[in-house]
Amino acid sequence: MAGGLIDDRSLLERIRRGDAGGAEELFERYAPALLRFASRMLSDRETAEEVTQEVFVKVISRAHQYDGRAAVSSWLFAIAANACRDRKRHDRRATIVPLEAVGDLSASGEGADARLESRQRRAAVRQALASLSDEQREALVLARYHGLPYAEISKVLGISVGAVKTRIFRAVETLKARFSEGERSWNAAN
Amino acid sequence: MECRELTDYAVDRLLGEAAAPERDELERHLAGCGSCSRELAALEETWGELGTDRDDPVTPEFRVRTLELLEDEMSRRRIREFHPRKRALRIFAQAAALAVAAAAGFLVAARGGFPARPVSAGSPLEPAAGANTAPDLAVNPRLSNVAYRTEPDGRVGIEFDSTTRHSVLGRPEDPQISRLLAYLLSLNVQTAGEKSRAIELVSGHSGPGAAEASPDVVSALGATLKRDRNPGVRKKAAEALASFRSTPEIRAALLDALASDPNPGVRLVAVEALAASAKETPDPKTIQSLREKAFDPQENGFVRARAASALKAIDL
Ligand SMILES: [Zn+2]
Repeated sequence: MAGGLIDDRSLLERIRRGDAGGAEELFERYAPALLRFASRMLSDRETAEEVTQEVFVKVISRAHQYDGRAAVSSWLFAIAANACRDRKRHDRRATIVPLEAVGDLSASGEGADARLESRQRRAAVRQALASLSDEQREALVLARYHGLPYAEISKVLGISVGAVKTRIFRAVETLKARFSEGERSWNAAN
Repeated sequence: MECRELTDYAVDRLLGEAAAPERDELERHLAGCGSCSRELAALEETWGELGTDRDDPVTPEFRVRTLELLEDEMSRRRIREFHPRKRALRIFAQAAALAVAAAAGFLVAARGGFPARPVSAGSPLEPAAGANTAPDLAVNPRLSNVAYRTEPDGRVGIEFDSTTRHSVLGRPEDPQISRLLAYLLSLNVQTAGEKSRAIELVSGHSGPGAAEASPDVVSALGATLKRDRNPGVRKKAAEALASFRSTPEIRAALLDALASDPNPGVRLVAVEALAASAKETPDPKTIQSLREKAFDPQENGFVRARAASALKAIDL
């Protein structure tokens, strides 16, 4: 994620002092990543937005609790991961993956067929991700889509590096099986 | 390496976590193992396929909405931290309250129809240091420069200017104290922070055995919930109403907030309180309103989900 470590820490310091500009800057810097994370954990755009908002509100109230042991980005992801888990516990709706919620975000200029195919593929990926356990999905999403190294993921999730690896490997195994199965049925149907 | 370790080696490499010896070991194995080479191709394809899931962007609408929320939250925090706790802070708070009141031109406007009764001398209100008595609320006195403090024994001290500086001390549940707090709440002189503090002090303890609120308190909280301009204060008022045993007046105030408060956070508190109350007393109006909210596509997702889960829990 963008933003130097010292910069991030000084943003939290500004938030602690009550400087609203600090909160705004932290949003600009991290909202895209946190929204992406929540949206892959919850598979529903609207819920992901709500949870992302919750994360920032929590950051404001907990800015004084940040102890500097992990990078600010890891601390933010940890809050986001907890918020997503809480949300799933309280709202079973959040685990459903409605196809239409995947949306059509194709770049303009693509043909209708390409758009349809890209949309279908995206939906297939989201469904495959939703089929993972929450623990596997958290680790995989942080590694694959956020480029976090094992050591950082272990801090975010509060587990050992070995456990991070195991979760990611298992996730990839599951996904591979799912995709090859999908391909077989696709080939059979066409 | 062995064949069963392929995924570990491959994922390490894909994530850039494999050291040179590990990468070499994988290459050596692949050179002599056709089955792992095919497996690796499938793993890499899976990895690539994951990349076709494009990132959800932050929309301008979401950005604006969230920045507003954060600004609101930051100002509420500044207010909260402003609460007098220590002596030095108290003096600071009074000075700040004085500045706020001065800026507002000492505008004192009691909301019409508020049922105020006199708080007379000889009541459980003990004069604190400075020996003052509480004012007669029946005459709609002008009160300003309010400061609160909580004693270690749970009593609350309230100081304010009327014709002179008053300082009263008592338990929040004492009728005179709660009436004074309700009266203060109904005045426009308090800052959002002071109002929040007054609301916290009049709040009951929710859950089984929740106390019944005095009509004064319900009326003051209802008026605050309906009219206060600060969403944080309205939210606090809704939470306070929810902390008392549910009555038709409390339900009416919460239903009104759920139907018309512009802030989703306030509506969320209202829907949660109504859900809890409907579980105990299945009031038809409440259930009807929950039903409307559960299916209202314009409604905030949180509020909608709470309404829906409440209906499920009521088990009609
Ligand atoms: Zn092999």
